[in-house]
Amino acid sequence: MTFRQFAFRNVMRNRRIYAAFFMASVFSVMVFFLFSMLLFHPSIEGSALQDIAVLGMGIAEIILYIFTMFFLFYSMRAFLQARTKEFGILLHLGMEKRQLHRLIFIETFIIGAASIGVGTFLGYMFSKFFFMVVKRIILLPALPLYFSWEPFALTVGAFLSLFVIISWVAPVFIRTGKLDELIRGEGGGMEVHGFSKIRGVIGLVLLGLSYSMAAFTSNSIVIGLIFLLPPLVTLGTYLFFTDSLPFILHLFKVRKEFYWRHFRLLAVSEGVIRLKENARMFFIVTIVSTIAFMSVGILASLTSFASQYREMNPLGLVYESFPGNELEQDHINRLGYELRKNEIEYTYVRFPVLKQRSSLTDYDVMILKLSSVNRLSKSFGNQAFELLEGEALFLPPTASTFEQLNRQSVRTVLEESGIEVRINGAYPYQLFPAHAIGTNAIILNDADYEKLALLVEPSSIYHAFDIPDWQKTKNIGLTIEHSVTESILTGTRSKLHFTFDNPGLNYSVIRTTFTLLLFIGLLLAGVFLLAAGSFIYFRLYTSLDSDRKQFDVLRRMGITDREFKKIVNRQLIPQFFVPWGVALVHSSFAFLSLQVIWDALAEISIVRELIMVLVGFTALQVIYFYLIRWRYLAHIRSPE
Amino acid sequence: MKWMKTSIVELEQVTKIYEGKVMHRALNRLDFEADAGEFIAIMGPSGSGKTTLLNIISTIDMPTYGRVMIDGIEPEALNSNELALFRRHNFGFVFQDINLLKSLTVEENIVLPLTLDGLPIMEMQKRVDRLAGQLSLKEILNRRPDELSGGQAQRTAVGRALIHNPKLILADEPTGNLDSNSAKEVLELLSLVNQTERTTIIMVTHDPIAASYCDRVLFIKDGEFFNEIYKDERRQTFFQRILNVLSLLGGNVNDLRML
Repeated sequence: MTFRQFAFRNVMRNRRIYAAFFMASVFSVMVFFLFSMLLFHPSIEGSALQDIAVLGMGIAEIILYIFTMFFLFYSMRAFLQARTKEFGILLHLGMEKRQLHRLIFIETFIIGAASIGVGTFLGYMFSKFFFMVVKRIILLPALPLYFSWEPFALTVGAFLSLFVIISWVAPVFIRTGKLDELIRGEGGGMEVHGFSKIRGVIGLVLLGLSYSMAAFTSNSIVIGLIFLLPPLVTLGTYLFFTDSLPFILHLFKVRKEFYWRHFRLLAVSEGVIRLKENARMFFIVTIVSTIAFMSVGILASLTSFASQYREMNPLGLVYESFPGNELEQDHINRLGYELRKNEIEYTYVRFPVLKQRSSLTDYDVMILKLSSVNRLSKSFGNQAFELLEGEALFLPPTASTFEQLNRQSVRTVLEESGIEVRINGAYPYQLFPAHAIGTNAIILNDADYEKLALLVEPSSIYHAFDIPDWQKTKNIGLTIEHSVTESILTGTRSKLHFTFDNPGLNYSVIRTTFTLLLFIGLLLAGVFLLAAGSFIYFRLYTSLDSDRKQFDVLRRMGITDREFKKIVNRQLIPQFFVPWGVALVHSSFAFLSLQVIWDALAEISIVRELIMVLVGFTALQVIYFYLIRWRYLAHIRSPE
Repeated sequence: MKWMKTSIVELEQVTKIYEGKVMHRALNRLDFEADAGEFIAIMGPSGSGKTTLLNIISTIDMPTYGRVMIDGIEPEALNSNELALFRRHNFGFVFQDINLLKSLTVEENIVLPLTLDGLPIMEMQKRVDRLAGQLSLKEILNRRPDELSGGQAQRTAVGRALIHNPKLILADEPTGNLDSNSAKEVLELLSLVNQTERTTIIMVTHDPIAASYCDRVLFIKDGEFFNEIYKDERRQTFFQRILNVLSLLGGNVNDLRML
């Protein structure tokens, strides 16, 4: 048996321990490879959307790389420490330190090479499917499977370098103490029963403080909180696991009438030990899960933004012309022509917007004509409004301002013309995008409007196209859009006396971007999830020997199979779901403050998306729990 | 007078064969009987089947052939759940490597078998306090296993075996890891329990001194009955007779270390 064979057999025989680690590595390599397949795809060439896709995947690859590095470091350390006893025997038998390092180097390298091989292979297998999904999202006609050396080179290069670094650094993690200590394994007795009450209380206070700040935040301070809260919560979480939880459990243990009940005695005392031993790991898992929830949640909330886009943009096309615009008639004709050519139904209403100063508030007021508003409103299926001479309605700038304006009734004089009006209540339907006609607009009865129109020139003309099939308009008015883009690029925007808005086109860009980011985020979250589970599995494995012994004692003592399962449940469930639960609570509060930002921006609710994301993750976690419990039970029941 | 006594353990022609890559006959047509209230030692060289015998009595293992009867019940007739409950209510275990649960304090380790049956807290506390007095564990009730001396740990284990007033205590080399003073403490404790509570004790041991505390010593070799001797008035002569049998028995040097 050569030295290399020895290393190889070590890996093969430890494969059960390596399994979860291997799985997470393989998945990480696979996702990395899929992203690189897209990065180097020959049919991707520089439209805005494809740029976003490539940029998103590129950033995701960097995140993935850094995360995998930490994951490998942590796993490797835990794994090598678990094998302390084995290394002690090898050293005892006369193996040199140098040889031991080489052994670990070769072992790590074998695992690395295998994960890269399998990950890349699976990646290539799944790339056809991956391309089908991406193709649909970024609206490409075709995204065929291709074969080129570049994605392979990038993936293999990146991960090979990673594993080489880890293999070099890994031996540092071996405890090199006295030989007899190594052989006895376990090493020095860690102080696992102690905790500091003060630190425990500080942890709880920090978390409570952060939560209440997040929950009761207002728009004015939310930006400051974004920088303040994460460090606070991170520190609080750390103290929570190292001191607060042991403290709480201690309070529980003092009360024997609760503690000395059935399996609680075993489950709680074991739980405390595991907690203390693994506090740092739980902390890491919690933070990683929180980040995963947050990123997917934020992306999902952006998707929600897209789906509520229609409510914010009820009109299909909007063209606003200002005085001095010679192209107005030309553009309107062209839009109408393109809509008819594409067989898209539409209703066109022209709004000359008049401007007057209100004597009551001393602000400018934008004035629309009632009959034009009614005509547009009719195409939405709304009823017409009637106003008598001298009467007007507020036009609420956003849906949320309706209630407040509807209660108001004011008399004012339009100063320049001297026309007196009574503004009584607000117009109930949302026909225009938010703030389309300024923040201070009224709808005037036709008689007064005609009088006013004779006296003043319109300050602008608002051309509204109501299009029921509004998503079909993404190819309408491209030349107008183009001239606007060009003027912005050349800095001559002020020479154009019009604005043009095509929500259908904007929507398709927004939706695509967010869907793409969500897709990338979900893949990343998948990697995080597997990694977090792998940490836990690892920890279980390293304590398997002593667990097995304990199981044997309990079995003799007369614990039934069902009781044993219950005990294992009570030990495993907290390990899986406490970090999970804390992460859930963290992200829920984070979303509470996020909702404040969204409220300010766009008045949309992200609750539904969030619940979906959180439920989805929880379901995955439950499946993962059962999978690992099944393996754990099988191992612990088998004698060796 | 033997017919007056009731036997708590009865083994008849018990044979245990371990199937595997190498077939191994651990016990061969062994008869064994323990009367209620007896304190019995089982001795024999390494590999003679002592531990297998103890496992069969403790219903962890089933014989390949033969009949087993424990306290009037045939373990083979019970399913694994009933067996677990049977063990829990009737047996107390003491192990060589003590096997206290590391996460529990001395008090919690002792009370563990009771919590599983959900006794009232007052009752549990009462029993622990009484036992702690008998076992002189009062001062260290709140320590953890890694803060105990070997003797203290084994006394705790004895406490755990006694807390639910079992009919039968099964001890596997209870003094194997103890220094001679601690061993003496534990053995005197066991014989005290045997005399005052009339609890049956079956103990596997290598140590002739330990065996000399018993009423009867059963010797087995290669899974078969070899000899059996009863105690007499003086422990010293009983000890000598045990040594005599052991020297006949051969086995490994370890068994003769007292000579």
